[in-house]
Amino acid sequence: MMIPFGHALAFAAVLFVLGLTCVLLRRQILMILIGVEIMLNAASLVFVAASAYWQQVDGQIFSIMLMAITAAEVAVALAMVVYLWRRKRTLIADDFNGMRG
Amino acid sequence: MNESLLFLIPLMPLFCAVINMLFGMRLPRLFAEVMAVIGVASAFVLTVLFWGYAEGEGTRAVLFTWLNSGTVDVSFALNFDRLAAPMTLMVTGVATLIHLYAVGYMHKEDDYARFFSLLNLFVFAMLAIVLADNMLVLFLGWEGVGLCSYGLIGFWYRKLENAKAGTKAFLVTRVGDVFLGIALLWLFAVTGTLSISEINAQATSISSGVVLAVSLLLLLGACGKSAQLPLMTWLADAMAGPTPVSALIHAATMVTAGVYLLCRLFPLVSLSPVAMMAITAIGALTAIYAATCAMAQREIKRVLAYSTMSQVGYMFMAVGAGTVAGAMFHLLTHAFFKALLFMTAGCIIHLAGDENDIFKMGGLRRRGPVELFWIFLAGAVCLAGLPLTGGFFSKDGILLALFTHPDPTYKIFWLIGVVTALLTAFYTFRLVYLVFAGEYRGTGHPHSLPLLMRWPLWPLALLGLLGGLFNLPAFVGGGETLHHWYDDLAGRAVTASHEVEWMLVGLAVAIAALGWFAAHRRYRIYQAPTENAVTRFLLNGWYADALVDRLFVRPFTAMARFCSSGCDRSLFDGTLSILAKMASGWGSLLTQMTTGRLTTYLSTFAWGFLILLGWFLLKLVDGGGH
Repeated sequence: MMIPFGHALAFAAVLFVLGLTCVLLRRQILMILIGVEIMLNAASLVFVAASAYWQQVDGQIFSIMLMAITAAEVAVALAMVVYLWRRKRTLIADDFNGMRG
Repeated sequence: MNESLLFLIPLMPLFCAVINMLFGMRLPRLFAEVMAVIGVASAFVLTVLFWGYAEGEGTRAVLFTWLNSGTVDVSFALNFDRLAAPMTLMVTGVATLIHLYAVGYMHKEDDYARFFSLLNLFVFAMLAIVLADNMLVLFLGWEGVGLCSYGLIGFWYRKLENAKAGTKAFLVTRVGDVFLGIALLWLFAVTGTLSISEINAQATSISSGVVLAVSLLLLLGACGKSAQLPLMTWLADAMAGPTPVSALIHAATMVTAGVYLLCRLFPLVSLSPVAMMAITAIGALTAIYAATCAMAQREIKRVLAYSTMSQVGYMFMAVGAGTVAGAMFHLLTHAFFKALLFMTAGCIIHLAGDENDIFKMGGLRRRGPVELFWIFLAGAVCLAGLPLTGGFFSKDGILLALFTHPDPTYKIFWLIGVVTALLTAFYTFRLVYLVFAGEYRGTGHPHSLPLLMRWPLWPLALLGLLGGLFNLPAFVGGGETLHHWYDDLAGRAVTASHEVEWMLVGLAVAIAALGWFAAHRRYRIYQAPTENAVTRFLLNGWYADALVDRLFVRPFTAMARFCSSGCDRSLFDGTLSILAKMASGWGSLLTQMTTGRLTTYLSTFAWGFLILLGWFLLKLVDGGGH
């Protein structure tokens, strides 16, 4: 049975909003990164659903590329998190305000 | 000899001034002093050698073309004629003696190169005035003497009041210079030339109104340099300079530049009776003003400064009465005896231990070299106009010219002249008695007098006493040499019956004797100076300085303050600083948005995204409606 396209979009939207809420409300850098991942997954889901709906393979290709990029991004981001921890022994985002005007 | 060699007369002092200016401090002191004296002495010798060139129509020498543009053709030219030659001789001669004196006077001064180069430069500028063939060269010299006078009055500039006196002299004479500059340009506009001889030749064709206006402008210019009535306040303060400077610049030469200017342009000035009357009136008023001031002064050099002002007033009266020969005669004798008086005053101040106040002197006749008293007395009797001295004949000539003037108004000026003569005799002998008579009242220790300060006095004393021989009037058997030398330049021939002349001579003798007698009674035995409103009024020069201060200086400073704090600082700076504050306020407002906090950025980002999304949705709804 086919999941209706509207359901998939609604689910993706909920997932995106959940991720955004996580990014906006949490102060922990790790949690913000997790929120970003959730938002990316929502986007990826929309690509897959669209690909299935229009019977076009482009969306799936894009989704796989997104996974690769996300993996790279997480690798870099986590490395930076380690560096930030070493600098200040904290991972609260607001404590890193060295760019304040 | 080539007539271009005439240029050596002014250029020798200039050359020595430049050498001293550039290398003076590196040269041995003796060399700098010798250079300074040689500069003026050679000019004197050259003037004597070239004397023949002055006869007849004089000699014009062109060095180079200065300005040449369209109709303007001004060359750097000298005119050595009958009017210039005696003046040149006097300037270089007196300057040579004063330079010698200055070598003695300044023998302890460290800054000798600056002094001697300025002194030489002054002589150059003065000779440029005297010898100028056109108004522009004259103006060059005119400004030059002002500049050197400024530098020399404020020579000891580390004392603020000296520097202020220099600035004051420069600014006040500059007021006159502006009028001279206007007159110069006006004359050029009317006649199309700046040559003095051509202006004089064309004078009759200029309309009488212009002649009057230009003459009055020239008079104001002359007033500035010659310290005459509206512009006289600087001269008494100019005594802050070293004594040789007072003798050379503020007694013998520069202050007579105004008289010389009026004599130079006499053919023009004499065409306007009103201008002539104004010249006489200014001369008369200055003469009596300065004489009254001199009666109450306490400093020896200030007495002499006021007497200079007064005597230059006589010269103005002579020009106004139409006798150039009389004015120049008094100018020459005055230069001799006033330079003498100043130089002797320098010696006296040395003897009194740098004390200027005549009430703290006294008894100096026995304190110093014995000849000093007699030399000072020689100058004093010339100034007081005692019979048979040079000052007597020259002053008498002026009074005669005033008395015999066809216009009866001049009788008033004559009367002022006579009263001034009485006051002159009085204050001169007051000075002599206070300085030389009685016991020494001061506390200073006398400095030694170098020989160089003593022997230049002798020739001047002789010239002052025998100065009458230059222009001995006919009624005592003289040849009126100076009058005949000037010939057609001499102005009105003063003729009077022998009875009138003898009567005036008798009156002059009586006046001088009366002045001496009054001073003798009052000051023979020392009395402490009386202090009341009148003496204070006279001591402060009729409060002329306060008047100028109220009328010009204070409104000017008020205006300047308004412009500086009212306009510049409040309005312009205020507007600019408000603009600057606004910009920096906006800046600091905007910096607050840069919190550096990641969460703020993220939420701003989200809000922006939301707004964009909403906008696109609206567009979509809007587009769907159609």
